[in-house]
Amino acid sequence: MLHIKFPVISRTKALEDKIDIFHDMLIEAAITFRHSIKIFLNNDHSEYKKINKKIKNIENQADQLRRDIENDLYSQNLLPNLQADILQLIESLDKINNQIDDVIYKFYIEQPYIPTKFHFKLIELCDQVANCVENMAIASRAFFKNHNTVRDYSYKVYILEQESDQTYNDIKKAIFNSDMELANKLQLDLLTTEVADIADIAEDCADEILIFTLKRDI
Amino acid sequence: MFSYLFILSSGLFLGWSLGANDGANIFGTAVGTKMLKFRTAAFIASIFVIIGAVTGGSYAAKTLNELGNVNAPTGAFMVCLAAALAVYWMTKSKISVSTSQAIIGAIIGWNIYSNKQTNIELLSKIIGTWIFCPVLAGLLAVTLYFLLRFIIKHGHFSLLQQDFYTRIGLILTGAFGAYALGANNIANIMGVFVSSNPLQPLSFTANLKLNPEQILFLLGGISIAIGIITYSEHTIQTVGRNIFLMSPLAAWVVVIAQSLVLFLFSSNALSDFMEKHNLLSIPPVPVSSSQAVIGAVIGIGLLKGGHGINWGLIGKIFIGWIITPLIAALLCFTSLFFLENVFNLIVYN
Repeated sequence: MLHIKFPVISRTKALEDKIDIFHDMLIEAAITFRHSIKIFLNNDHSEYKKINKKIKNIENQADQLRRDIENDLYSQNLLPNLQADILQLIESLDKINNQIDDVIYKFYIEQPYIPTKFHFKLIELCDQVANCVENMAIASRAFFKNHNTVRDYSYKVYILEQESDQTYNDIKKAIFNSDMELANKLQLDLLTTEVADIADIAEDCADEILIFTLKRDI
Repeated sequence: MFSYLFILSSGLFLGWSLGANDGANIFGTAVGTKMLKFRTAAFIASIFVIIGAVTGGSYAAKTLNELGNVNAPTGAFMVCLAAALAVYWMTKSKISVSTSQAIIGAIIGWNIYSNKQTNIELLSKIIGTWIFCPVLAGLLAVTLYFLLRFIIKHGHFSLLQQDFYTRIGLILTGAFGAYALGANNIANIMGVFVSSNPLQPLSFTANLKLNPEQILFLLGGISIAIGIITYSEHTIQTVGRNIFLMSPLAAWVVVIAQSLVLFLFSSNALSDFMEKHNLLSIPPVPVSSSQAVIGAVIGIGLLKGGHGINWGLIGKIFIGWIITPLIAALLCFTSLFFLENVFNLIVYN
């Protein structure tokens, strides 16, 4: 069989693959984050250290991919009318990775004291946040592959973000109603806020992606 | 030969300005949205506009000659110059202008001056095309818009695949548009010189021969190509902003609709087919690519609810359609009088 390689097609395929891997990494970061809180609460320090290392690797690789994608888009002049939108989206998604890395690192360094009564709610919050990020990654992948489903996944992101907000408020109230030291209360509140912020960033990405999808329509 | 080139100069100038303005209609979106480099676009447009002019230009030119058989070279020079001046003046006044309407006005001016009968039936058909052309472009644009939306919705193309196909589409449509522009609009700039053409047939090889009319159209095609290469980039940057408000795909629909309309109005076969089947007769007549673009944009605008349409501007465009041929006719009539009575030149036989 005759195989003819068109440089434009192979370049486009290479960029598509990079964008795909970037989304894979975001999903991997979300799954890792979901596991991380359970490991932390189990006081499995050596395993948590590995998680911290793993998320750093994911974050570094995602950063490199983001730069490659940006470089390919500009140097090959692909999608010229959507370049700015795509760059904004990729950078916003990368902020999710950065925030996940930040939160996991803070738990690793600060080793906050978390009473057992907060464990269930904290796991629930992390679960909602991870789901939110996963759905955002799927929505973004759909934007590149099949934009008909972008709205469905974005809507899921909104719902999960609202749920995570509710859980965050419950935790916040419980923290300040507890008999912990004020310093502990403030530390835990700050860390919980940073966890909830991950879903907020995902929500901002969903807002952006819905506008970009409208712009994609002819 | 050189004196004849001087006679042709008004037509060549008109060809240059046509290339500078209408070249932007064909590739403006592709270049403006950076989907194509200007050099690539200009190269493709130049080649295909010349091919269109040489191979498909004779039918529309024949229609113009039926309207007014300008049989003296000086008369033909003046008809073209009057049309060019009318176009220049209207463009200066920022009124949308059609070279096709200007040349028809100038021919009628020559007819009146030389006491030749104007074929009223043909004239009314031509005037009919001025209304029919944008309406047809609008209908085609709406149909194509629906078709493209359906394909995109059900085709499951990735964003990068869509980008790739859009580029291919813009190149193919641009080439087709350039061909159609050459085939249809060459009559505007060279049609009036056909009757008084003194050129001899030219043979390149046994199979590649050009008749005198085709040599004339080749020269005209080259002048349009020079207009595209030298000035259309400037036009794209200065007047292309209205088009850029649309997405590249919507603008692509506009270019296809415009190219199809120009092609339909250049095709003798289609005209014969329509007449044979007692359908609406479309004479092969030069039409304005800008008016086709306007029709297509309005069509899509109406489809989207008509909110963004500037009706004041459209009113201005309609006024331009009436004023352009009148000014060209008046200019031609007055200038012929001066050429004949002041310079003692023969302007008709």
